[in-house]
Amino acid sequence: MAVSFKTKGAIKFVVWAAIAVALSVYLWVEYYNGTLVSWYYYKAKTAGWAVNSETFKDATKEKPAVLQIGTFPKIEGLQAVPVQKGDRLPVNTNGIIDDKTVKDGKRVSLEGNTLKVTVPSQIKESKGFKFRDTFKHKGVETNPWGGLWCVCYILALGFALGIMAEGFTDMCGLKLEKIKHYEGVH
Amino acid sequence: MFDFMIAGIEAPILLLVLTGMTVGMVGGFIGVGGGYMVTPALIVFGFPGYMAAGIDVTHIAGKSVVATIRHRQLGNIDWVLGLAMVGGTMMGVEMGVRLLNYTKDLGLSGVALLAASVAIMIGLFLYTQIETHRATKRITELAKEGKTVGRELKVSRIPIFFQSIALKPIIRCHTARLVVSMWVVVIVGIATGILAGFFGVGGGFIRVPALVYVVGTSTHIAVGTDLLEIVVSGGYGALRQYMSGNVDMIAVFFMIIGAMFGAQFGSIATSFVRGPAIRFILSYSLVLATVGAFLRLVYFLTGQQHTFINFFAVVFTLGEMIFLCLFILSLVWFSVRHRHGKWVPGWIPALVVVKE
Repeated sequence: MAVSFKTKGAIKFVVWAAIAVALSVYLWVEYYNGTLVSWYYYKAKTAGWAVNSETFKDATKEKPAVLQIGTFPKIEGLQAVPVQKGDRLPVNTNGIIDDKTVKDGKRVSLEGNTLKVTVPSQIKESKGFKFRDTFKHKGVETNPWGGLWCVCYILALGFALGIMAEGFTDMCGLKLEKIKHYEGVH
Repeated sequence: MFDFMIAGIEAPILLLVLTGMTVGMVGGFIGVGGGYMVTPALIVFGFPGYMAAGIDVTHIAGKSVVATIRHRQLGNIDWVLGLAMVGGTMMGVEMGVRLLNYTKDLGLSGVALLAASVAIMIGLFLYTQIETHRATKRITELAKEGKTVGRELKVSRIPIFFQSIALKPIIRCHTARLVVSMWVVVIVGIATGILAGFFGVGGGFIRVPALVYVVGTSTHIAVGTDLLEIVVSGGYGALRQYMSGNVDMIAVFFMIIGAMFGAQFGSIATSFVRGPAIRFILSYSLVLATVGAFLRLVYFLTGQQHTFINFFAVVFTLGEMIFLCLFILSLVWFSVRHRHGKWVPGWIPALVVVKE
């Protein structure tokens, strides 16, 4: 027995909806298990100190944050790990305080075996828009394979959602005909 | 509010979904990525400027796949034309980016670039408006004479010149019903790609008029084929942006979910209208984007002292998205009313299709 147009549409919708959901769950899991974050904060683009900028975002000149310097495999709290350009970043790193900023001494200063952060963020302007400039994302390099993964993922998700939507309209009986571009219309 | 770990901000999911939906609708209808609307919106939501540009271009790649699939179903894509153009577009984008860096080295300021983009957009707007007004007038005249009018009607003579260039290889585009030199298509791809790369946008708003007025496709096919181009150029842009650390995938995900609904509606809405209607909305989107760019230009020229001008620029850009969506919705609504023999404004019948 021939399968009806609507039934085919329903099958198409269910299959591609399942694929779209699977892709969404996969993204969610990768985001929250830290994989995407580790791809994002992959290597040091510049020499300096790897830090977790969230831990000292509330520091002020009156109440500076003091970061302990050491070679920690994982940054926990107020810690800083010295890195050279191209080094893999420790777990939980989300930014680099570069040598220049430390030498400058206006925002961060080196005091013995510690880094004293006094200005964790400042207001800057770009293309007419003001934004908060912090140490987050600074001096980090993403995993180049992550870029390929991103493109493949986004195209796959777009494809799944597109076919799913097509299946949905078919399932609802809204058969969209090809537009007759060259015939007369009223 | 949702905590975007990579972008490092908290932003409302609903706003991202709605932005994706509105830009998806406009993009699906006029065949543009909509980067000039999304980036300022994301900055308003609190995303850093570089992250806004990265999220924007990545979501455009995904959204264009959704819209392309629907336009394929509607027969609005000429695959031969699209694939012939892709190489030129990519080359052009790279050349545009390099040209931008070169002009920066020469000391040409951002103000000059912004002024050039305003001039190009106004030029395109004026030409599209004049041509489309003439086309709708002709449709009305033909309808009064009782003649059948095609879905597309253009009065521009420019495509005839470009189609007469007989430089081999010649390509035959069956869907677009065109026989044109491959060189014309490649050069159009390079030229529009250079402008896109130079101004840092997807280039749909330049490529759609170029496909219509230079190559000579119908507007519907220009929209569908351009979206196919955007899949490739957007994918390339997404790769570059991710590698530069400018993409938070969860933000992209929410925008694509919204864009899926918007792009469906925008793409399907093209089947309710004639070519001039799409060109009208494209020209309005151009002029509205130009006003936004002009306000930012004034803000820069006045030494960035009057922050209210910048505020107006942002409000204007957000308002533009809503206006264009309402324009598309009203066209579809009037088309349905016209099909049922109900009253519609006098300018509607020339723009919408009652039945095929």
